[in-house]
Amino acid sequence: MDSGPALVALGGGLFVLGLLGVIVRRNVLVMLMCMELMLNGVNLLLVVFAQRGDSIAGGALVLLVFVVAAAEIGIAIPIVLLLARRRHTMELDAYTELQG
Amino acid sequence: MTSLLTLIVLLPLAGFLANGLFGNRLGNRFVSVVGCGLPLVAFAVTIQCFLDLQAGGTPLLDTVYRWATIGEHTFDVAFRFDRLTAVMTLIVTGVGSLIHIYSTGYMKEDASYARYFSYLNLFLFFMLMLVLGRSLLVLFVGWEGVGLASYLLIGFWFEDPDKARAGKKAFITNRIGDAGFLLGMFLLYQVLGTLDMDRINAAFIDGPQPAVSASLVGILLFIGACGKSAQIPLHVWLPDAMAGPTPVSALIHAATMVTAGVYMVARLSGIFMHAPEASALVAAIGVFTAFFAATVAIVQTDIKKVLAYSTISQLGFMFVAMGVGAYAVGIFHLYTHAFFKACLFLAAGSVIHAMGGEQDIRKMGGLARRIPVTFGTFAVATAAIAGLPPLAGFFSKDEILWYAFASDRGGATLLFVVAAGTALLTSFYMFRLLWLTFFGRSRMPAETERHVHESPPSMTGVLVVLAVLSAVGGFVPVPHYLEAMLPLPEVVEGRAALQTPLMFLSVALGIAGLLGAAWMYGGNAERAKRLAPTFATLHRLLSGKYFVDEAYDRLITRPLFWISDRVFLRVGDRALLDGSLHGLAGLGRRTAGTLARIQTGNLHLYAWLALIGIVAALAWSWPHG
Amino acid sequence: MDNLLLFLFGATALVSAASMLVLRHPMRVALALIATMLSLAGVYALLGVHVIAIFQVLIYVGAVMVFMVYVIMLTNVRDRSFTLRFSSLLLPGIAAALVLAGLFARLAAGGLPAAATTSAAGRFGVQSFSVAFITQYWLHFELVSVLLVAAVVAALAVVKVSRRAHG
Repeated sequence: MDSGPALVALGGGLFVLGLLGVIVRRNVLVMLMCMELMLNGVNLLLVVFAQRGDSIAGGALVLLVFVVAAAEIGIAIPIVLLLARRRHTMELDAYTELQG
Repeated sequence: MTSLLTLIVLLPLAGFLANGLFGNRLGNRFVSVVGCGLPLVAFAVTIQCFLDLQAGGTPLLDTVYRWATIGEHTFDVAFRFDRLTAVMTLIVTGVGSLIHIYSTGYMKEDASYARYFSYLNLFLFFMLMLVLGRSLLVLFVGWEGVGLASYLLIGFWFEDPDKARAGKKAFITNRIGDAGFLLGMFLLYQVLGTLDMDRINAAFIDGPQPAVSASLVGILLFIGACGKSAQIPLHVWLPDAMAGPTPVSALIHAATMVTAGVYMVARLSGIFMHAPEASALVAAIGVFTAFFAATVAIVQTDIKKVLAYSTISQLGFMFVAMGVGAYAVGIFHLYTHAFFKACLFLAAGSVIHAMGGEQDIRKMGGLARRIPVTFGTFAVATAAIAGLPPLAGFFSKDEILWYAFASDRGGATLLFVVAAGTALLTSFYMFRLLWLTFFGRSRMPAETERHVHESPPSMTGVLVVLAVLSAVGGFVPVPHYLEAMLPLPEVVEGRAALQTPLMFLSVALGIAGLLGAAWMYGGNAERAKRLAPTFATLHRLLSGKYFVDEAYDRLITRPLFWISDRVFLRVGDRALLDGSLHGLAGLGRRTAGTLARIQTGNLHLYAWLALIGIVAALAWSWPHG
Repeated sequence: MDNLLLFLFGATALVSAASMLVLRHPMRVALALIATMLSLAGVYALLGVHVIAIFQVLIYVGAVMVFMVYVIMLTNVRDRSFTLRFSSLLLPGIAAALVLAGLFARLAAGGLPAAATTSAAGRFGVQSFSVAFITQYWLHFELVSVLLVAAVVAALAVVKVSRRAHG
């Protein structure tokens, strides 16, 4: 049985769930983790297509995505922590100063 | 040498620049020397050119440079010196220099001495460009330039708003005439392809008639002349122009600028000779203006205003001559008029100077013994303008009256009758002026009477020279000198015999005016005062100058103001233009305000919008593969 | 056998991911995410891309999620977002997500490229993959290392600024 379509559906589903999580969850850290979930979904899709298309490029890109995700987390979390220290809260609704 | 012509024109320009830029710093002595010296040099150069012309026979030509090339059309700046130009240039530089010298005395106390002389030199520059120009374009530059100089000089004492307004009035009235002038120029250029006046004349005289109505061009050009030479209906600026210094009135509004219209008609005689309708119009307006202005002059009480209306009247005479084809005679009258009118104005200035600024003749009287030189020159010039022989005015005026009667190109009995009536009035009001100013018992306030003194030699000297020229200038045979290029018209059959009787008639008219004025205003103007109530309505009409200014104000100025304010300002400018711009800006602001509401600062919203964007992009690209 | 394991791992990943959206405590969300990642690693291994599976565990679970867990432990999580889990855009978000999912499904139904002919293990084995990566994509590798340096510097700067701001 060809697992391809199922895996692609899984990857797409993970991506959609991640995006949904960014929109609906209030806690900032949870939002960050949902962004990681999105990246994982994309990675899965890349791997599936790389394996099926018999190409190294997809795999290389996945490695690069790993690195980018790590770098992103490395900066995003300190920023979130500093913001949280100011407002003493982790919910996103406290950070709406850039409006209008 | 042909570059002498350019020199004539440039000398006053140099004077303008020198006096304008350095006059204030270098003092009155410098200004006087430069301001009078350069026009005198120009006069000398003109004499040299005149001698060259006599020797050579052909007109001198000096092409200075190519002004513009537009496609295949080229426009040059060129000066041409033929007989007519010779007469005009000699008058302009000669009388102009004399008036410059007079001004050194008259304007000595004025704080803006340097500015005055720089403007005067500027005027001379433009006037010379006008008379020396070969093409209508160069003439028009000079035309506009003298208008500018006139405006600057009328409003010379601009701190007084009335004087400034007079300057504006002169300039604007001129511009209305210029519209007609420009249309005539355009028409000529379109048909003939050239604006050179000698070529235009040649096109009309020899060869087939150009495909344009000569009368139409003539009328259009004459409209311009009406503006510049103060003929009805554009005469209203000249009396107001008396607000300027008296030498300015003498130079610009008597001797030279206002004669530019007459010169232009004479210069383009080729057109007018083939335009009977236009010529008839010129003669009609000329004689009507002459009569009209003379009637107004009878009741004026300001010494300069009398002379202003007299100028308008005499210009009318010149146009009568032009209208009946006697172009050379009109120029002859221009020449004599320059002498006696300048003398009259300058003498009036001397009177005003003696009276400490008073210009109302009702407050004068008995000045003959106090300021004899001024009186003598004024009297000579008055006799000249009245047409008493053997003074200059007699010759020129008599010839005009003769041709008005007998020319085969438009002479008519009616024309002669009105012109003769005007001549009678001229003599009357001029002698009235002489009597009220100089004779009888003094009506001056005591303060003024104590300070009455004769003017300095710089002023009286010029007066004497001009008086002498007014006396003997008529013996110079100007019309015959010009006959080679401006042929005199033929005399109508059967009228030739009346020449001598009519000459006696014109002399009689002059003497009648003298006697009438003496009778009316002699003694202490008792008879005039007694007769005044009988003619009260007429007097009021004439004093109000037939209320022309008021009519113009009611019919033209106020509606224009109304339209400018109500329509153009409020509706056009504020509501439409500003409104649309403000509206656009407001629209931008409102749109930005509305769009800015998307930025709530809420990150969830942004992420959701990104999702919507992805959905939209995918949905759009779906059918397109 | 392989397919069964694949199905298991896939289901675990999906369920864990879904539960991330509803769990209250951030620590539990983090654990759910770790579960998802490990399941995905398993999927990768089953597909034969061992290198990627290894790096998934090493980098994602071992570094990123550990960091995440540290942070959650160090912060006070009992604030309003604990009780009020969802933002104001819950319903619109779900609606839009369903639409997107539908679009993806339609897209994917269009067809996929054919299955691989050669064994994936051959290509994606550690040695061959590594050699191919370093020889063909060494430039990308270097650039990414520059990116990491930039991230380190940025993190340092953020900390220093905050230290100066708060004494």
